[in-house]
Amino acid sequence: MSEAKETLLTGLVALLLFAPLTGVSLEGYGLNSHWQNPFLLAGMAMIGRLLLGRLRGLRLPAGLAEYDWQTRLQRPILAVVVIAALIFPWLVGKYWLNVATLALIYVLLALGLNIVVGLAGLLDLGFVAFYAVGAYFYALGFKYLDLSFWIALPGGALLAGVCGMLLGFPVLRMHGDYLAIVTLGFGEIVRLVLNNWIDFTNGPNGVRAPFPSFFGLDFSRHPMPGKSSFHQFFNLPYSSIHKEIFLFFLLFIVVCGMVYFVRRLRRMPLGRAWEALREDEIACRALGINHVTVKLSAFGIGAMTGGIGGAFFAASQGFVNPTSFTFMESAHILAIVVLGGMGSTAGVIGAAVILTVLPEALRDFAEYRGLLFGCAMVMMMIWRPRGLLRSRRALFRREQRAC
Amino acid sequence: MTGHIFAQQAVNGLVLGSVYGLIAVGYTMVYGIIGMINFAHGEIYMIAAYLTAIFLAGLTLLGLQSPPLAILLVLAATIACTALYGWSVERIAYRPLRHANRLAPLISAIGISLILQNYVRLSQGARTQGIPSILDGGFHLFASGPDAFVRLTHAQLLIVVTAIISMFLLHFFIARTAMGRACRAVQQDRVMASLLGVNTDRVIAIVFVLGAGMAAVAGVLVTLNYGSFDFFIGFVAGIKAFTAAVLGGIGSLPGAMLGGVVLGLAESFFSGFVNTDYKDVFAFSLLVLVLIFKPSGLLGVPEVEKV
Amino acid sequence: MKKWLAYACTLLALALAARLEAGTIKIGVAGPLSGAQAAFGEQFWRGAEQAARDINAAGGIHGDTLELVKGDDACEPKQAVAVANRLVDHEHVTAVLGHFCSSSTIPAFEVYAEGGILSITPASTNPMVTERGLPTAMRTCGRDDQQGVVGAEFTVKHLKAQRVAVLHDKDTYGQGLADAMKAHLATLGRKEVLYEGLTRGEKDFNALVTKLRSVQADAVYFGGLHSEAGPLVRQMREQGLNAPLISGDGIVSETFLTSAGGPKYVEGVFMTFGADPRKIPTGKAVVEKFRQAGYEPEGYTLYSYATMQSIAAALTATKSRDGVKLANWLKANPVETVMGTKRWNAKGDLQTSDYVMYRWTKEGKYEEVADKP
Repeated sequence: MSEAKETLLTGLVALLLFAPLTGVSLEGYGLNSHWQNPFLLAGMAMIGRLLLGRLRGLRLPAGLAEYDWQTRLQRPILAVVVIAALIFPWLVGKYWLNVATLALIYVLLALGLNIVVGLAGLLDLGFVAFYAVGAYFYALGFKYLDLSFWIALPGGALLAGVCGMLLGFPVLRMHGDYLAIVTLGFGEIVRLVLNNWIDFTNGPNGVRAPFPSFFGLDFSRHPMPGKSSFHQFFNLPYSSIHKEIFLFFLLFIVVCGMVYFVRRLRRMPLGRAWEALREDEIACRALGINHVTVKLSAFGIGAMTGGIGGAFFAASQGFVNPTSFTFMESAHILAIVVLGGMGSTAGVIGAAVILTVLPEALRDFAEYRGLLFGCAMVMMMIWRPRGLLRSRRALFRREQRAC
Repeated sequence: MTGHIFAQQAVNGLVLGSVYGLIAVGYTMVYGIIGMINFAHGEIYMIAAYLTAIFLAGLTLLGLQSPPLAILLVLAATIACTALYGWSVERIAYRPLRHANRLAPLISAIGISLILQNYVRLSQGARTQGIPSILDGGFHLFASGPDAFVRLTHAQLLIVVTAIISMFLLHFFIARTAMGRACRAVQQDRVMASLLGVNTDRVIAIVFVLGAGMAAVAGVLVTLNYGSFDFFIGFVAGIKAFTAAVLGGIGSLPGAMLGGVVLGLAESFFSGFVNTDYKDVFAFSLLVLVLIFKPSGLLGVPEVEKV
Repeated sequence: MKKWLAYACTLLALALAARLEAGTIKIGVAGPLSGAQAAFGEQFWRGAEQAARDINAAGGIHGDTLELVKGDDACEPKQAVAVANRLVDHEHVTAVLGHFCSSSTIPAFEVYAEGGILSITPASTNPMVTERGLPTAMRTCGRDDQQGVVGAEFTVKHLKAQRVAVLHDKDTYGQGLADAMKAHLATLGRKEVLYEGLTRGEKDFNALVTKLRSVQADAVYFGGLHSEAGPLVRQMREQGLNAPLISGDGIVSETFLTSAGGPKYVEGVFMTFGADPRKIPTGKAVVEKFRQAGYEPEGYTLYSYATMQSIAAALTATKSRDGVKLANWLKANPVETVMGTKRWNAKGDLQTSDYVMYRWTKEGKYEEVADKP
């Protein structure tokens, strides 16, 4: 079919698609007319179709695509990132610091899910359940047992990890999409129980979670009698930004630790077993790898990371309620992992930061945020299905060069 | 517990289940043929609900008064337009990913689902919309007292009957026509089918069109019955229908319908006799249990793992 | 690095400059501008916008003009907290009008209190909004416990209902309302025959309706919003359950009519709401202004207008931007608003509640129920 003909056809189909939904809008039981909208959209579709035809031949220059900057520039980039993170909190206001904290939480979650999906190849659509376990463990632990953040953090991580293993146990017999569905169902069950068990979780009203203390010093303007707060101890004027900076650095340290941990894990037999199992399960089992323990460990460690992220989320928000743990949240984390390139740590971190900061920066387009987000997901899948940064397999590159 | 309450809950469950079944067909057909979970299918159903209201309002503006004729015209127009949506979604978001890894189409589908939701929100507004009730009345069955009866409205009857008819039509299409044979061939072995001269891209497109058409039927019927909808109904209905498809055995057409009815009845009885709050928890637990003990669903064929 | 630092400093300076810019006072308008409850968000915005325009036309606050900033929480607590943080730390607003859903208002008000910013909600009726002793939290509407009392009194004394079923939508607002109803029913010597929650966003309540039939309810109270109340009442009528439905101020919108499927289904639905602000004589000119612009100021539109007037009055009288000072002034002084004179108590609640019962008519409008049967 000639290009002109195909463009016309695109326009016609677009017109038919857009006419009823954008040409008129429902108003009560009547209709308002916006007859120009469908023509505008159809015109845009035609232009898009033409441009797409032109662009199809283009590829990234081979040199750029092949340039292995991940290895070559690793140290400089790492240094820049660390220095930037150290300076950043002192330069920006509380608002952007909050955004950065949220971005770091997503980095943590994405790293956790990356272990399950990216490394072990187990599609988990209910990751948000572990996130919720961590967050609620902290909030409810404080409410009923007066647990401090420093106990709730490892406690929540442990509990989430145990939950992950418990869920993993019956589920591991099935594979691929069935696993995805069961985890999705599990995620929904956790959210619904949190929502409905009103006597215990306070239901949709949510639970308050206090701010973590700094070695026993809290950050309130007026501390409890007998205790001193951060600004009094260090003789600083009170500012609400202190605690945000503290949380940011704390989270930054945890994320760095996590990155290091994952990096080491990937070189250990366990990490290699994950990736091997992802590539070919039957071959692995034939070679004597215990697929149950390997998969369970991936599930457990991933869930644990989710739990840590949850505790931090509760602390930074000051309160948790079930609407923060919907399927869309799972999809968001999965999107980060996929856009970043499954299995690639650097890519996942980049994607988490971009996907959290960008929507905040584009507040003026808040109306169109969901639309743009969806378009980005589809287009990424079509043009860069392996993510922003492709994951490299851990090869023994040096030995190869020596040959 | 009196009999009429029990029977009424069975009717409620059957109606709800028929809707789930109609939507589930779309999931199960797509999964059967290309092995992907079409997450955007729920949104297609949501679009059908909006189209129903828009076409109905349009017909009212044109002065059409007869309800049966209006329903038929709206059904035809909605199916046509929704099918076009199904086709376009496949063409834009899934066809380029035919040879990508397994996760790519799934992510793309989640993206499409976001796009469609926001597209409708932006063009139609976020508020709850509705249609005037045009299909009133119904039957009092087994009436044995002023309060003891089973109520079946005309709209509910229409849902069950239409669901059965469309299932038979679909079954006929798959089992008896040349195109249906091609569908089955592609489902069994896509490469082999294409070697034997089946245009696989076209077959897959047809499957999407059929699935969207069934979702459109569900959308029209639900809108006629409940009369109100918003841009978010696709998500809830999608997850439930998907649960139904898996419950019945994903990939199996009768399984989808059976799964839908089982899920609808389970929800209805649990809500009626145990607790409404935990209805959804029960539905999802059922799903998890079935998958653990019979991973291939009620009517599915167990997958053989090949080396 | 140097350049970057310079850039950051410029940004900081700009932000400071924006903060000190004379001539405008930023007021945040927060509510569900998108999402299923967007109809209420529009009522907020319309009311606030008109009020700001009128105040500015009359000379503003000692010459400074009011500038409104939108904050969309989509009725989600998480987004509400994010929006509150943005309004406080990024937009540097002086006061906030909002939020709508109690579940959003409660966490967001803590943020405003910490930032020392006056926050007044025109619509959140849950007691917790003002019960927590936040110095800057106020409202220009009634409370659920007052609403529940009116609802229960009406159900028992006017409708003479014996078997009352209480339903809610498992949200802070809806459940709070249902609990208030339940509590006052108990003081009237009635125990509800059913107390259950339905899920927001669902449309099929047939199983629940059958359950209502099985417990032979002769009145149904629903704490929730119009998007669920509409299908619920329709399915009740379709299943032949003709018990009256009583609800709160969450269904005060034309959308309730649309979602129920027409006037014949909403006929006989009762709801509690403040005495119709459109009928208060002081507001006549303002109501006319709205109608001329082609907008019917229903539901919370005038509440929002009155809230903006109260904020402006406090700003004018105190010449201060400090939230606690503004709130204290409002708590001590009456304000003339479009809805008559408003007085607050020390908690930040209105001193008098004016909840009355409304009935939806077969024309699809709502009217006040005559006082006594």
